[in-house]
Amino acid sequence: MNSSSAPSIPASAISRIQVGDQLQPFIRRTDFDNWNRYAAVNDEFLPHSMNDEAARREGFPKAFGMGNLQWSYVHSLLRAFIGPDGSILRVDVQFRNPNLREQTVTAHGTVTGIDGTTVSIDLWTQEDEGARLAVGKALVSLPSG
Amino acid sequence: MTETYLNDTVINAKGTLCSRSVSYPIEASAIRKWAMAVYWPEPAPQKFMDAEYAPEDFDAFAWGPASYASLLPGDDSSVVVRHGINERALGFPEWKFRAGLNGGMNCTYGVRMHVGDVITDVKSVGEYTERQGRNGLMLITQSISTWTNQRDELVKRTINTGICY
Amino acid sequence: MTVKVGDELPTFTRETGFANWNRYAAVNDEFVPIHMDDAAGEAAGNGGAFGMGNLQWAYLHNMLRSWIGENGEILSIEVQFRSPNVKGQTVTAKGVVTAIDGDVISLDVWTEQQEGTKLAPGSAKVKMGK
Repeated sequence: MNSSSAPSIPASAISRIQVGDQLQPFIRRTDFDNWNRYAAVNDEFLPHSMNDEAARREGFPKAFGMGNLQWSYVHSLLRAFIGPDGSILRVDVQFRNPNLREQTVTAHGTVTGIDGTTVSIDLWTQEDEGARLAVGKALVSLPSG
Repeated sequence: MTETYLNDTVINAKGTLCSRSVSYPIEASAIRKWAMAVYWPEPAPQKFMDAEYAPEDFDAFAWGPASYASLLPGDDSSVVVRHGINERALGFPEWKFRAGLNGGMNCTYGVRMHVGDVITDVKSVGEYTERQGRNGLMLITQSISTWTNQRDELVKRTINTGICY
Repeated sequence: MTVKVGDELPTFTRETGFANWNRYAAVNDEFVPIHMDDAAGEAAGNGGAFGMGNLQWAYLHNMLRSWIGENGEILSIEVQFRSPNVKGQTVTAKGVVTAIDGDVISLDVWTEQQEGTKLAPGSAKVKMGK
């Protein structure tokens, strides 16, 4: 227990944020383990996400994951950044490349603007070699202080 | 080449009570999803969609026990072993297997499971045997799972057989 | 319905593959590589991914429930998993009455693939619904 009487400033408070700050990345190695679990909760049992052969029939080298799961990863990234008192106001993402099996996907974000307690963020997911899979922007609100 | 898996510790463990798990209350949506999965792609019977009761094969522990306690003296590992028993805590050898397969199941049913039921699962050690197969010496494991409901009525008693090589 | 020894039960049939197995994994939290990934199934010596014994178990229950009717009871069932249920197989659950003792009916039950090879043979005891 912290016995200090000084009011503590949340780690995610707006006063601690600067343009150019990098968000703590959110990283997952992706494979059937992740995708089938996601399908389980989203009823999203897509052959090309469950079966290499099905993906190859669609012209991909192997099975690939759901854009919806990348969307979730981006939200996980943002939630960790804003902390318990922040809010995600808006997220806008485009899916540019398939998330192929066995790729390690990292969701990144960079602070691009601060307006009052509203923070603009560029965000993206990338695979092991740096190719971007999903790119987008977000607006979040942070607690003042 | 393994000559035998069966040492005295393994042989003498038969009948040992290993763990007690208590489920969360069974939810209607869990019954519904179960039925949809096991009848898919055709529709599940309406009685399961309405969650009148759970299919006999329903697993009330599919998404984790609400509580778990080892019944093995000196075992404070708190390792939840859902499909089987905690062989490490029993002092069994740390076998390295290439494959572990579901060999079979034997189940005797009591009363049905309904929405809101809280199930207790007590697991115990069955018989461990071995035999030669096309993949070499195979260990045949048995774990016994006894489910009762909140009224202490028997729901089912299942013997699960595993094949490891 | 009058039941006699030798009666065959209406069958329960499903074409099996990832679509079934992953849905089953979804409700049983059974996300096991040998059931999701051909490479893992092959490493286990089965030529590719294969389905859960637990799902065959469910198919046998589906067949029995349908036959015994609303108030019937499945008293006991046992099966052995003899052959893997590999991708693309059509699995049929079957049963035949072997004995009748009062209101308890004994059955041989099994699942088989499309060429008749038994995957999971076993036996069951049931009571018919009134």
